[in-house]
Amino acid sequence: MHDNAVFSHKVLPYFLIAPQLIITLVFFIWPAGQALYQSFLIEDAFGFSVEFVWFENFIYLLEDPEYWNSVRVTFVFSALVALVGMILALLLAAMADRVVKGAGAYKTLLIWPYAVAPVVAAVLWWLMFNPSMGVLPFWMDLFGYDWNHYVNSGEAMTVVVIASAWKQISYNFLFFLAGLQAIPRSLIEAAAIDGASPFKRFWQIVFPLLSPTAFFLLVVNIVYAFFETFGVIHATTLGGPGSSTKTLVYKVYEDGFVGLDLGGSAAQSVILMIIVITLTVVQFRYVEKKVQY
Amino acid sequence: MATVSLKNINKTYANGHQAIENLNLDITDGEMLVLVGPSGCGKSTSLRMVAGLETISGGDLYIDDVRVNNLEPSERDIAMVFQNYALYPHMSVYQNMAYGLKNRKVPKDEIQKKVEKAAEILEITNLLHNKPGQLSGGQRQRVAMGRAIVRNPKVFLFDEPLSNLDAKLRVQMRIEIKRLQQEFATTAIYVTHDQVEAMTLADRLVVMNEGNVEQVGPPIELYEKPATQFVAGFLGSPAMNFLDASLNGNRLTLSPDVVLDLNDPNLPTGAHDLEVVLGIRPEHMEACDEAGADFTLSVDMIEPLGADTLLYGYFPGTDTLITSEQPGKQQFKRGHRLALRIDRERCHLFDKATGKRLGS
Repeated sequence: MHDNAVFSHKVLPYFLIAPQLIITLVFFIWPAGQALYQSFLIEDAFGFSVEFVWFENFIYLLEDPEYWNSVRVTFVFSALVALVGMILALLLAAMADRVVKGAGAYKTLLIWPYAVAPVVAAVLWWLMFNPSMGVLPFWMDLFGYDWNHYVNSGEAMTVVVIASAWKQISYNFLFFLAGLQAIPRSLIEAAAIDGASPFKRFWQIVFPLLSPTAFFLLVVNIVYAFFETFGVIHATTLGGPGSSTKTLVYKVYEDGFVGLDLGGSAAQSVILMIIVITLTVVQFRYVEKKVQY
Repeated sequence: MATVSLKNINKTYANGHQAIENLNLDITDGEMLVLVGPSGCGKSTSLRMVAGLETISGGDLYIDDVRVNNLEPSERDIAMVFQNYALYPHMSVYQNMAYGLKNRKVPKDEIQKKVEKAAEILEITNLLHNKPGQLSGGQRQRVAMGRAIVRNPKVFLFDEPLSNLDAKLRVQMRIEIKRLQQEFATTAIYVTHDQVEAMTLADRLVVMNEGNVEQVGPPIELYEKPATQFVAGFLGSPAMNFLDASLNGNRLTLSPDVVLDLNDPNLPTGAHDLEVVLGIRPEHMEACDEAGADFTLSVDMIEPLGADTLLYGYFPGTDTLITSEQPGKQQFKRGHRLALRIDRERCHLFDKATGKRLGS
């Protein structure tokens, strides 16, 4: 007699996990392997000659100031998207948490943007910020400000950050609101009796209790800003003006599909892959452990 | 050292629900006042209004003759112990207890002295550097108490502080709270739905029902002379038996066979077929021989509790289930016919229409 049920089948377990396995192999391992292999090659644009060059693509990349500019742009962009998205979401969540009447309606409205596809969101903001027909530049013009994100790199960055963060606010809002509602009211009341001002109550009681949520969102937002904002950038600034909004992902696309430098583009994807893996490890490792209490 | 006065306090919620109607209470210095009642009776709301966590819709609240209606909770110099303890989970026990003092800008060395002293009194010195998550229910309760006493406030407010503890710990902490409150001689308001807790802790007891005060007084007085049928039914365990009856002068008719002559000069004179309710506690019906008995109870259910045995059965000729408490040493069987005599001195009569007490 066995304590547990034991299945003698050898094939069945593999059969059962096959769908997941096949999807991972076909859509992740295979392309990743392909990219890794390709990053060691230099090909001409028409595929007539292929040369195996080991790490030459990587060395070239790391010596290229354009690449380092893209790294800098990505970090600034991600930090801004994460900060703007999280701060506004926290503010909205704190307010929605206090609303008594019509709370459901507010929440629904605030969650909607998340259902909008990134490209659609980008087109929306592209129209609103369009220097020749957009409503926002029109208003700014009334105040004497001449908006043109096609020439001003700071303004271009502002547009892509706003368009990217706008979508993410909904997601962050949901998590922050859930986090806020999980904090017992009596804790805040106890702090009020203990003489803490509303400001102190928020920063000394509420915020530390939200810190696990905030850390989780920070990682998720950075991953989002790194890898899921291609559509936004492609629809608004095309990475310009100059290279001022050319993030790492956008550069992969441009070098590979526009510039047809397949080897260099593949090398960049490999570096991005390493970044994703690192971020995932950080998330798994610390999201659960790095809790404030 | 403080007195608390509630004068015509009202609480009406935005949806029009009136939680408290004209509440008047005077709490003297050093007194432990217990608010007790079923859920939704307004006891917690009243306490939260004293704390300043709930706005006061009407009336005046005084602490030490200062009107505090519009003061922030922190300005009222009160300390509150919550049902779920409300300890800050990310702070150590020490930080939890020190938080209120720190916000009041008390010097660091003084905070340390006060926290250490409070910890010593509550025997939690060895826990000062733990986080609340590492403590047991009883220990958390002590920390919550500690947070209240370090500040040496004018008034302690307790909002069902023992409901989350298991039965044994509850009894232990009940005694502890009583001891601490007497030691500090601090005015305290204590809210509970547990009548045993209420009876044992209170200097004075307030029984509330549906936003109104039913009766105020020392626990024993409320137990012996409940002013309304509600108070009579709420206090005492097992609960008081109620029997419909009609009153003619001093003559109480419970059923055609059971008629009692009461010797109460304070009963309304000239009562004629007045519909009343007789309240009699299970322990106030004595087993006796058939000759001296008022009625015979056919025992339907038996609950032996050790010291006492509870017997349940229908009052003859009615469908009212009544309880009788008998000494535990006797053995009873289902179907046993028990001759009982109602103690005339311990009868409580209530007007059936108003629920108010009749006679003395």
